[in-house]
Amino acid sequence: MPQTIPPIIRIAKYTLTDEIRQKSFIVMFVICALFIFLVRGCYQGNFMVNGQTLDAETVIRVVSKLTFHVIAVGAMLLTALLSMRVFRRDRDEGMQSSILSKPIARWQYVAGKILGLWALSVSFMFVLHSIVFIIASINLEILLPEYLLASLLCSFNLLFVVVAVLLLSLLMSDVFAFLCVLGIGIVGVVADGIYALSHSPMAQAMIGQAGSQSDWTGWKAVYYLWPKLSGTERFASLLIGGEGLGPMYPLINVLFYVLILGALLFWRFRNEDII
Amino acid sequence: MIELSNTTKRYGSLTAVDNVSFSVKTGEYFALLGPNGAGKTTIVKMLLDFTKPTAGSLSVNGLPSTQSESRTAVGYLAENCHIPPYLSGWQYLQRCAELLNMNKSDAMRQCSRVIELIGMQGREHTKVSTYSKGMIQRFGLGAALIGNPKLLILDEPTAGLDPIGIREIRQLLESLKDQGMTIFLNSHLLSEVEKICDNAAIINNGRLLVKDAISALVKDSDTLEDVFVRLVKG
Repeated sequence: MPQTIPPIIRIAKYTLTDEIRQKSFIVMFVICALFIFLVRGCYQGNFMVNGQTLDAETVIRVVSKLTFHVIAVGAMLLTALLSMRVFRRDRDEGMQSSILSKPIARWQYVAGKILGLWALSVSFMFVLHSIVFIIASINLEILLPEYLLASLLCSFNLLFVVVAVLLLSLLMSDVFAFLCVLGIGIVGVVADGIYALSHSPMAQAMIGQAGSQSDWTGWKAVYYLWPKLSGTERFASLLIGGEGLGPMYPLINVLFYVLILGALLFWRFRNEDII
Repeated sequence: MIELSNTTKRYGSLTAVDNVSFSVKTGEYFALLGPNGAGKTTIVKMLLDFTKPTAGSLSVNGLPSTQSESRTAVGYLAENCHIPPYLSGWQYLQRCAELLNMNKSDAMRQCSRVIELIGMQGREHTKVSTYSKGMIQRFGLGAALIGNPKLLILDEPTAGLDPIGIREIRQLLESLKDQGMTIFLNSHLLSEVEKICDNAAIINNGRLLVKDAISALVKDSDTLEDVFVRLVKG
């Protein structure tokens, strides 16, 4: 008997192909790929500081790490942009009612959407990271497999963005859903920055003098409890710097939020009216 | 095949469906009639679990409508049918077939059969964005017919069709009925309903006014339209 594909995989496949069909997606991908190719000049130049030539490997690792972060952030933005319109477009184009009038449960529909968007955004990020990986490998004449591993670790951030934007797009307008997730990312970066600053010797001295420990406590709580998207990115990038694995907490934090927001998304969509 | 029992649906202070109970038997050609805003589409949405009833219950194929299995062998055509404009009619039908867990060869066979049924041969590979409203409606009906459903739920199936199209769809629905299919029809076209349906229910302001055989509703020199106007206007 010929094998059939489960509905979740089918819905994921349709989501993926429908998004790739969008001209805006193709334009964004081409712009990003061009940006990566333009950066390749950094790998070939000889950099001199105070008359001393810098070690090529160090330069390549630093540039690769920088590009890694730019791509990871770009992929998160693109994922949020793609996810924010998915439910609305499906509703307007009649696919939502078409799918749900068949013996397909709502959780299967939502799971298919999440899977499709995640697969697309991870592929997008992985292809761009792979281009950097190839350029760096050619110039260094050694392979940097940890670069690709780091890219895969960042995919959990993309899963968070997909789930969060899909959930918020059910509660508010698409643009606000996008802006909210953008805000979550920015607050996370600020909290990380303030936490790092509070641990600097200068800040420690200031705290000691002013006795204002409580001023930092609020940010400390935000640092630990807020979705740690930038923390996960930094955790992954430590691999590229050859510094080994750092504390796992950011990754666990993001996975915990994915589970909580995912559960809320399934529950919310279960009670959603289909138009 | 379909059963509504004391079903109520409220949207805030508005009662869209008010304590409605009726059933549709297997093989029946049933029409749900009512003026705009009477609650017909809300009933269809509750049957498909697109919206939850505030009170009461609905069952399809003997199962509560909240279970996805109740939609096995059910075909549905929405009022103002929409199809993604970047797909072709063929691709849309193929998706619908694949979502019913068909393998590729079965899906292709089903699509060819349905395209012939809806009379869209030769246009199936052009983009939906080039189709007229009537053509989209036909492909929507085609999608409902994929997988040989036992129950067809049609919300205004002839909307947007010209008189020839209406006649062709009516003939198609009659032939489906002859094959034993149960048809649940929401329609404004009372003359069409009178010609083809066995039973009808008339609702107004969410309340069921009457449910009976068409032959029992329409007596002497009356038409269904006369009966409808008399009941709705009180």
